[in-house]
Formats: sequence, structure tokens, C-alpha cells
Amino acid sequence: MAEIYEKAIRTKYVGKPLALYDEKPAWVVSWPRAVEHHHTYGLLTPFFKGLTEGKLMATKCTNPDCAEKGTVWLPPRADCPDCYQRMKWVKVKPEGKIYTFTMVDYAGIGVEMKTPYWQIDVQIPGVDTIFKGYLAQGKPEIGLPVKAEFRTKNPTHTILDIWWVPK
Amino acid sequence: MIKFGEGNLRVPRWSKRVFMVAGGCTPFRKYFPEYKLEELVMMAFKMMLEDNDLKLSPKQIKDSIQFAVYGEFADHFQDQLLCESKVHDYLGLDPLYNVGIKTGGATGGTSVLMGAQAIASGYANCCLVAGWERMDEVDTRTGNFYISTAACKDFETRMGRIYSSYYAPMANRFAWAYDLSEVTRAKVAVKNRGYAVMNPNAQQPGVHTVEEVLASRMSAYPLRFLECCAMTAGAASVLLCDEEMAYQLSDHPVEVFICGGSHTLRVADRRPMEIPLLPNETPGQYDALLKENPRWPGFESFLAARFAAWLCYRMAGIKDPLAELDLVELHDAFTISDIQTYGDIGLRPYGQEPDFIESGDAYFGGKCPANLSGGLLGTMHAVGATGIWQAAEVLWQIQGKYDQFHGDPKWWKRAGKKKPKQWTSLQVPNPRQGLWVSHAGVGSHVTVGILRKAW
Repeated sequence: MAEIYEKAIRTKYVGKPLALYDEKPAWVVSWPRAVEHHHTYGLLTPFFKGLTEGKLMATKCTNPDCAEKGTVWLPPRADCPDCYQRMKWVKVKPEGKIYTFTMVDYAGIGVEMKTPYWQIDVQIPGVDTIFKGYLAQGKPEIGLPVKAEFRTKNPTHTILDIWWVPK
Repeated sequence: MIKFGEGNLRVPRWSKRVFMVAGGCTPFRKYFPEYKLEELVMMAFKMMLEDNDLKLSPKQIKDSIQFAVYGEFADHFQDQLLCESKVHDYLGLDPLYNVGIKTGGATGGTSVLMGAQAIASGYANCCLVAGWERMDEVDTRTGNFYISTAACKDFETRMGRIYSSYYAPMANRFAWAYDLSEVTRAKVAVKNRGYAVMNPNAQQPGVHTVEEVLASRMSAYPLRFLECCAMTAGAASVLLCDEEMAYQLSDHPVEVFICGGSHTLRVADRRPMEIPLLPNETPGQYDALLKENPRWPGFESFLAARFAAWLCYRMAGIKDPLAELDLVELHDAFTISDIQTYGDIGLRPYGQEPDFIESGDAYFGGKCPANLSGGLLGTMHAVGATGIWQAAEVLWQIQGKYDQFHGDPKWWKRAGKKKPKQWTSLQVPNPRQGLWVSHAGVGSHVTVGILRKAW
């Protein structure tokens, strides 16, 4: 084991040379990056799992001593920011009205929907927040009733497993 | 937080007064291969030391600095962790302590706030604040994706992968709620890009018409390309001092007041709340507006900006912003965010923001000219540098040095440009104080700073 540290070594370059762009007088070189992160959904896993099962899950503060008790969060969060107690999961009826919208035309790299598409923010009865998503068909306007659909087959395991259509 | 505790509303008070004496910046470009990052920061630093009529030599000032605050938005762009350390070494400032600041688009403003705290606390009596971004290592769509990872990666990033698609819903909601026309939005782009024509460092100067703006390519409906800032490479710096050091260095120091506010990263999570009233507003003033549209701040306004202004106006003793501020530099990353901010900082009551443009108040010669520097739309958004550069532009206005830093052919030469024939001075006559807003993605962090003539 230790012997290797006693040896003289001839070192070889085994990397890949960088491409050179000569921007006279400065040299500019290519610098590739390809990475994979292992990202946890943590305590929000029931939400993402719920989408693949056709359920829209939110969290609700049920602490009777909370100044804002009864607040329903969607996107969910595990802990109430008002009283710091763990919240409860509740199933939300996946229907609402468009609060506002945009058409995404020029998107950043890696976009997973064919552009252009309508991104919408949905106000859901009984939910205290405004939930962002996309409209899979039709044309949005503020106040338009919409309902959610879910990607239960071949799910992406992302927020794109839910979308909205006019009701 | 939707209700404030009494302690939350304590107005910040410096233990020692804070002053700004000098500023510097690079030219701003989409692509800047001639210089490495630390070389760009050196260029801004040297301009700050050598060209601001300081009464001590650059070496003497270097020997006076005790602390440095560095602003950088995203390690992704530089692809180098701890750029702060490389820059600090390059500026020859080791072993003085330095700290890196990251608060999204508000990084520059926050860096000034942190530097001011170092002065106010007595940790330092001479503090460097510098910031940078080099967004030219990646193509524009990759850059937009990087920036969009400052939205919530679980719930928002995948919905657009570009920040225009997070501001555009605000634009549509604002237009629906407050009767904002596309023409007013376009006028902001025409104004700021037009002022950028006078700025030798500007990346996107241009004499445009409203029609051109509205005919430009759509990014996210209704925001067109000409309504959005661009990716920039560049750097900026300012020098902060306590009172004694400020007058030792300069005959024309300005006093610094600055406060910050924050709000949920996701606009989705912004629950309706009472509007914190500015000194020029009265209880009940918004009853009718809230009856029609009860979700304040909703998608229309920025609590972070309102809260920062609420604190900063009290800190600086401002009662009537429109009457007392001689100029403002706002964070016009998008036309809509510029307009939204007019209400947050009290240049107009909520619901009447478009009138700040339509009345002419926002123009050179108006009551409170906005973004005479060219702003983010016309001049730059090298994110970590932006809030620092905005402060430098306000500083130079108050010092009466607009022409010195924008009209002198040497700066046009440095930028590799010819001073345009139509160049005219945008120096505000005898300004006493100005405000700048530094703002992060959809209002998650905002600083409001005021610079006041102190001679």
C-alpha cells in the first residue's frame, strides 16, 4: 500500500483540450460544464407524489393559537411561518380562476414546453396563495374559470405534472 | 409576515453618520473579452480613486481602507467560487477583511447597505464597496436560465426559465387593475434608452419611438425585448467614509441613508395585508382602491420596496418624496417593474403610477427626473454592480459632475466610442438629494437609498 508513495511517476494529460476562440489580443477558451444534482423534495414529497396520483395537495395551519390559523398554502410549505408549527396536508379541489397570465415566447435554455405557451396564476377558492402553472389549451383572461389536469402516466416528477384547462 | 410587530418597525439609526465620496465604473458591454473579471474591477476601482477629485492620492486612500464589501449576483456566471478573494487580492487589499454579498438583483444596493453598516458601527472609517457581473461566459438563453434559478426551482423556474415571464404576469394584472396602457410602458423604454445615448458607458443606448418598442420582439407577453434589460459584463465601485474621513477626502461628500425590505421569493405566496403608509399618505387613502382590488401587494406592487421606502424616508426625514427628491435612479430591469415602483416609493399614490410618466415628472426638466443615467434598460445590468453604479450616478449628479463623467471625451474614448453629436448635458440644476432603488427578482429584496448633499 505505502510503496506507491516511494515511486517516481511519469504523469500523462488525460483531459480534453479546450477549444480556443482568438479574440485578439485576448484568448477566450471554451469551458464545458455538465452536472447532475440530486435534489430532494423533502417534506413536500407528498405534494409532488400527489400530482402523479391526480391530487392537488396543500398545507394548512391548524394550530388554534396561530394568529393566522387556517391559512392554506399552495405551493405548500411544511412549517407555518406565522407560528412555526408543522402544518397538515389537505386535498384541494383543483379548480379556480385565472388571476393573471403571460405568454412565454422567448424562454431560457432547457424549456420543457413548446413555445409559445400560456403561463397562468390561479386563484383557488379556499387557498390563501396564488398558484402558478400553465394553460394547456385555450386562451387565458383574468377571471376565466379553469380546472387542473394531472400527468399520472409517465410523470415528470416535477411541477409540470399539473396543468390547467378552461373549465 | 402579514402583520408587523412593534419591534419590526423600529427605524434604523446609524451610530455614526455615513458618507459617500467617490464612484467608478467600467464601460458596460454584452461581451467583454479584453479583460478578466478582476481587471474590470480594477478599472472601476482606479476610476473611483483617480477621477473623483479626492484630496488624497490613490496610494494614501489604499492605505486608509479597512474593509471591503463585494457584490456578485451568481457564482454560475463567473463559474468561480470566491471571486471576492481573487478581486480583493488583485486590488492589493489583503489582509483587510472582505465579505461577499448576494441578494439577487439587489446585490449592489445591499452591498452599499453593508458597507454603510461597517462605517456606522465604527468597524471601518473608509470602506470600499465594489460589485461586478460577467454574464458573457454563456449564451443569452443559458444566462436567462441561470437567472431564473433565482426563482423558486421547485415551483416557478420550469414555468418559463426566464425572468420576463415572472414580471409579465405582473404587467397584465397591473394593466387590468390600474389602467396602464402599453404606450406608457413603452415610454419608459424610450425615455431610459434615450438618456443612455448621453452615457459613454451605456450598453444599449438608442433613440427609439413608442411604436418601435411595441413592434419589437415579444419576450413574455406583454413585455417586448426593448422593455427588458440585457445581460452585461462590467463592474462598479463607491467609497464610503465616516464624517471625518469624508471631509479629509472630499470637498463634496454626500450623506448616505439606506434601508432594505424583503418579500417571499414566490409572488404566489404574497398574502394580502394592510398597506404601510408613507409620510405623504393618509389613513383611509386606499380604501376605495382596496375595495376594488383587495389583495395588496398582490402582483401589482412590491412590499419589499414599500417597506424599504417606509424605513428610509423616516431615517432620512423625508416627508414628501416627490417634492424633496431632485432625482431618482430606479431598477428598470423591465418597464413594468419601473412603473410599479413609482407607487411603492410614493412618487404617486398606488393606482396612479402611470401618471408619473404621463405628467412629465419623470423626465429631465420634470419634478423628479428618473434614470437620467440610462438605467438598466439603456445602460447596464451587470447585476452585482448595478446598485453600486446607480449610487455612483446619483452621487455624481449631486456633486454637479454629470458632465465630468458623461461629457468628457476621455470616457467616450475609454469605451471605444465617439461622443455623439447630439450629446447634451443631463445635469439636474443644483440637486440636494436623490434616491436609488436596488431590486431583486419580483421584489424579493429591495433597498432604498438616499444620497444628500453634505457641503
